Parts: sequence; C-alpha cells; structure tokens
Amino acid sequence: MTREELLALKNKRTLVTAFQISWIMVFVCLIVVCLQIRGTVSTALPALNAVDFGVPLLATLAIIASGVTAWKAEAAIRRDDRAGFMNLWRLTIALSGSFLAIMIGVFFFNPYLESGLYGQIFRVMIGYHAIHAMAIGWWLVQVYLNARSGMYSARAYWGVEAGARLWYFVIVAWLMFYVVLYLM
Amino acid sequence: MATVTAPLPGVQSHEENKLRISDYLKWSVDHKIIGVQYMVTSLIFFVIGGALVMLVRWELLTPALDLVQDGTQFNQLFTMHATVMIFLWIIPMFAGFGNYLIPLMLGAKDMAFPWLNALAFWMIPPAGILMLLGYFAGQAEAGWTSYPPLSTLFSPGDGQTMWAIAIHVLGLSSILGALNFIVTIRNMRAEGMGYFQMPLFVWGILATSLIIVMATPFLAGGLTLLILDRVAGTAFFNPAQGGDVLLWQNVFWFYSHPAVYIMVMPGFGILSEVLSAHSRKSIFGYRAIALSSLAIALLGFTVWAHHMFTSLMPSLRIPFMLTSMIIAVPTGIKIFSWIGTIWGGKIRLTSAMLFGLGFLSMFVIGGISGVMVAAVPFDLHVHDTYFVVSHFHFVLYGGSVLAIYAGVYHWYPKITGYMMDERLGKIHFWITYIAFFFTFFPMHMLGMLGMPRRVAVYAPEFQSLNAIVSISAFVLGLSTFIFLYNLVYSLYKKRIAGPNPWRVLTLEWATDSPPPAHNFHGDPVFFKNPYGFGTEAAYRYLEEQEKELGPSYPYTMEPEKRSVVTAPASTGD
Repeated sequence: MTREELLALKNKRTLVTAFQISWIMVFVCLIVVCLQIRGTVSTALPALNAVDFGVPLLATLAIIASGVTAWKAEAAIRRDDRAGFMNLWRLTIALSGSFLAIMIGVFFFNPYLESGLYGQIFRVMIGYHAIHAMAIGWWLVQVYLNARSGMYSARAYWGVEAGARLWYFVIVAWLMFYVVLYLM
Repeated sequence: MATVTAPLPGVQSHEENKLRISDYLKWSVDHKIIGVQYMVTSLIFFVIGGALVMLVRWELLTPALDLVQDGTQFNQLFTMHATVMIFLWIIPMFAGFGNYLIPLMLGAKDMAFPWLNALAFWMIPPAGILMLLGYFAGQAEAGWTSYPPLSTLFSPGDGQTMWAIAIHVLGLSSILGALNFIVTIRNMRAEGMGYFQMPLFVWGILATSLIIVMATPFLAGGLTLLILDRVAGTAFFNPAQGGDVLLWQNVFWFYSHPAVYIMVMPGFGILSEVLSAHSRKSIFGYRAIALSSLAIALLGFTVWAHHMFTSLMPSLRIPFMLTSMIIAVPTGIKIFSWIGTIWGGKIRLTSAMLFGLGFLSMFVIGGISGVMVAAVPFDLHVHDTYFVVSHFHFVLYGGSVLAIYAGVYHWYPKITGYMMDERLGKIHFWITYIAFFFTFFPMHMLGMLGMPRRVAVYAPEFQSLNAIVSISAFVLGLSTFIFLYNLVYSLYKKRIAGPNPWRVLTLEWATDSPPPAHNFHGDPVFFKNPYGFGTEAAYRYLEEQEKELGPSYPYTMEPEKRSVVTAPASTGD
C-alpha cells in the first residue's frame, strides 16, 4: 500500500472506532430512561414465562455467534481464503437475520404491551436497536454481494472490516440492552 | 532599502488562489470552502437571531405588553432567539473556524473525510430553515431547554416538533463534524508534530469534539423520546400518565451543560492564538492550557444537575455544587495563563487583540457569576431570574462572540488575502464592548431584585434598568452592522495581506493568503514551538518564510501600486 492508502485506512479505522464510542451514548441514554421508569413504575411488571425469556436468549446467542463468524470471516479474507470468507459471511448474515426476525417478533408480541410507560420504553429500545441492526445488516448483505463479484482480497478488505466492526457495535449495544431488559 | 516594482509573490498567489462567490454556493469538499460556508451561514443566522432579540428588548422597554399580542408570541421570540444563537450561530461558526484552520495548522492537505465534511455542513441550512418555518405551523415556544410539559402538552403547534427534528439534524451534523476533527487531529499532523506542538486552537477543537461525540448522542436519545411523546402518543415526560418531567431535565442538561463548553472552548483556542501573536509573547503555560481543556471536557460531564438545584433531591445538591465549583479551577488556570502571556509583551492593540482583551475581561465576569450560581443558597435565590440571563450572556457573548470577532479579525487576512479595515474594527470594538456591558451587566441587578426571566410583563419598578438594557441592546445590535460592513468593505478595499501579516509561527501562516488548493507548496515545515516569539530561531524562520512566500502587510500595498519598500522587519521578534 502507498503512504496515502495506509493513511486513508488508518483514518477509516479511527473514524469507525470514534463513531462506536460516540453513538453508544444514545443506547446509554435509553438505558438510563428505562431504569428510571422501572424505578418509578407504580404497578408490578408481568413475570416472564419460559417463552418470553427463552426466545430473546436464543436471539442473543445468535447475535453473539454472528460476531464470532464475522470475526472469523474477516480473518479468512485477510488470509485471502475467499471460499472460507464466503461461507462464514453467509453464516453471519443468516445468524444476524435470525436475530433480527426474532426481535421484530418481540417488538410486536411481548409481555409488556399492556404495561404503560415501561411497555413504551421497552418497545422503543427493541425498535431502536432493530433499526440499527437492519441498517448495518444491510451493509453485511451488500458486502456479500460485492464479495460475489470478487471485490475483496487480502489487500483490499476494508468493506468487510467496516461491516464487521459496525456489526460488533450492534452486538455490544444489544448485550447492554439485554442485561437491562432481561437480567436486571 | 530596495524598491520592488515587479508584482509581489504574495499578490500574485492571491490572484491565483482567488475564488469566485459562486464557488461558495455549491457542494465542495475543500475544507477551506466548507469553512467559509459554515461562517457565512452562521453569520446569516446571527443576524436573524439578533433581530429576534431586538423584538424581545423592544417589548421589554415598558412593563406592559406593547409589541407582542400575548405571552405565547413572546415565548416564541426568545425560544427562537436562543436556539438560533446556540445551534445555528455559535456552534457552526466555531465549526467553520475549525474547518478552515485545523488542516492548515496541522500541515495537512484537507480534513480526513472531505465528503463527510461537506455533508455535515449541508445538513445545517435545511435544518435551520425547517426550524424557522415552524413560524407558519405554530412556532416552538418552550424555550431552548424545551422542558416538558411546556414542550409537549402546552405546545400544540407543529413548530415544536419541527424544532425538535431540526435540533436532531443539527446534532447529527455536529457529531459528523466532530468525528472528522478527531480523526484529522489524531492522524494527519505534519511529520514529526507531536500533540504538544499543536497550536492551542487545535487543542480547543479537540476537546470540543470529544465533548460533542460523547454528549450529543445523549441528547439524540432524549429528543427521540420527546418527539415520540409529541407524535406517537407515548408519555415518557407526561406526569399525568406516569411520565417524569425531571427525566427530560436530566437528559437535556447531561448534553447541554457540556454544550456550554462546546460553545466556548474553541473560543479559548482562538484567544490563545490571538493574545500570543499580538503581544509577541510565548504562551505562558502551554501544557496547562492544553490539558485544562481536557480537564474541562471531563469535568463538564459531572455538573449537569446544577441547573436543577431547585428541583433536585436536596442530598444531591452539595455534590453537584462541589463539581460545579471545581470546574472553575481549569478555567482559572487558563485565565491566569493568558494574563501571564500578555504580561510584559509588546502588545499591539489591533482589532483582534482588542476583542481578545475584551473576551478576557468579560468572560471573567461571566466566570465569577458562574461560581456564584454554583453555590446552592445563592442559586435558590436567583434561579430563573435575570441574573442567570446575565451570567450566560457574559459567557456566551462576552466569551464566545467576542472570541469569534477576535478570530475573524485575526484570520480574515488568511482567508481572503486582504486586511480588514482596522479603523472600522476599532470603532466596532468600542461600541460593542460598551454596549455589551450596559446590556448585560444591569441584568445582574434585575435578577437579584427578583425579576424573573422569560416574562413579557414585569413589575414597574424594574423599568429603568430594563430601559438601559434595551437601549444598550439596540446599540449592540447596530454595532454588528459595522462588523458586517467591514467584512464586505475590506474585500473591496483590497489591502493585500500577504502570507503572514501578523508574523505568526503556526503553520496556517506558512502558505499563501488565501492558501492554494492543497494548502501548501510541498511539505510544510513547522516551527517546533508555535509560540516561540522573540527567539533567534523564530526570527530566522520568519525570514526564510518571507523569502519563500513573499512579504506581508504592512510591507505589501494596494495592487494598483504594486511597489513596496522591503526594509527589514522591526517587529520585535
């Protein structure tokens, strides 16, 4: 790589990192609001049954797994193992899609629909996260489409790296939400 | 003495680098054009925001309703005045300075992400227009703080929703700009330039950008909920349905107190540059000033609840009082360092320097009144009175706006290639300085006497002071037109500045005025100590620079003469 190309890559990496640190604050804000509402809500929240608890857990496991496959896929393209990359990236998209499908379901069918204010913040958090998952999930799909036409190699894989990094952001944001919404 | 009759290098390059007005009206990825676009756009909004407050002061000339028909109209006026001044004048104006100067000061060809830079700018005009168009849909009337239930249940017009969406967009623009600054400063410094060799303006922008990227998304979260309350029937801030109005106040001030530093820290940076250059003195306590910017950025996140002393749980008052007072320490470090900088210097009372000194004196008053309102007992007395209005105008006008003026007079020669008219500059300064003082200082008294803010009708005993304030405000408003006139007049007067008219050591002056497309001819060589005035090395550096780039004002002259006496500079370097 030339000096300019290296600098451009360094800039992109710094930008994505700074963006991740910055934008996570929106999710922190929603968590603060959620905790505040839960602390002041006057009526008891409904208890979660096995399905209400198990399905989001399944989605969480899927999104964590998608992070692992994205990481391995990026490592594969760095080694110029294009076939390995394609397989792992397909798996990443499948796992991410499963997560998203489940969370869309949770948005429409959850035990808090009749829980007033808490139900509202619950849906805002699920929906807000799902919008991010959709937008960045589309990036993952676009990378796959690009990769099919041979766009990425061990020398040029920024699209893959950026997609993976942004997807890690979605994962971290969800884990924060999951802890607050289901474990606390 | 030698007489040069050929076109001067500085003059020649100026003609080559000159841009047409149309270049500034279209999409461009050149940071210099974007910087000017930011500045000019902000100035337009400054005039709009200023016109709005002239109406406010007109109304307040007498205790009764004169100009507006009711309180709602008055609420709309001050709401839009504050919002425009904060989000469409001060913040983007400093972004304009940053855009123009940061790559030049670092020796870079452009910002790290030029396209993103242009996008960040072009989000501002539509957002500003959207906000103003709210006038036709029931203008926002809940103050710039937009406290519910005023901004929800008691603001039926769609203008309030348009306001919230516009703030959302402006916040996004601000974040994109700040991310770009952070990447540029981290990665694109000239070869060998360490963090502690950067000009202090760069430190100011860096600290500001760190605050923006951490605080603004928090407001985005809160605004999303506020908009949902208004349009989707949620009730996060509606007490009647279990919502909590104080929740908004916490979320809002967690952003908006740091936003005060967003609005003033670039001004600190400008002041460091101006005071040092125009007193020919090295900065006193460079590292202290640089690191205190980071300290303010950090501490700025620990003080938000001092805006809520009257509504906060009493047990939280003391901790927030302490953090609010502690933040005066890094600010004080800066002020004493600036005084140390000009102490014993060869002070040139240029327009830029006058505004710099104006900042120093007026900001100190704002800082002291800030410590006063940080004290809970005093704050409980003056909360929501004109004392608070006075305090933040001493910070935001006495600080930020005077710093902007200082910066414009200082860098106008670099941006346009022409000197600003000094005589007009000084007239502008003295009228502004005096009118500013008499506009805002009496508000301290009004506040302590108990006059509440945000009222159109007030007790008759406050009329005398209000009349002084209003008349001074009109003069202050008019003084702005001297500045605007000077901006245009100096362009036509064409007093060529040359590359480095102030003989400054930072890199933006080590190139033509205005700079060429990629900023420098070849790789720029930076001077190790950007404030090392008075040293032999500095003198030699400036001499070399002059040989390479040509002479500067006052050694250059009007283009029609194009002949100049090139005597050795007797600048005191």
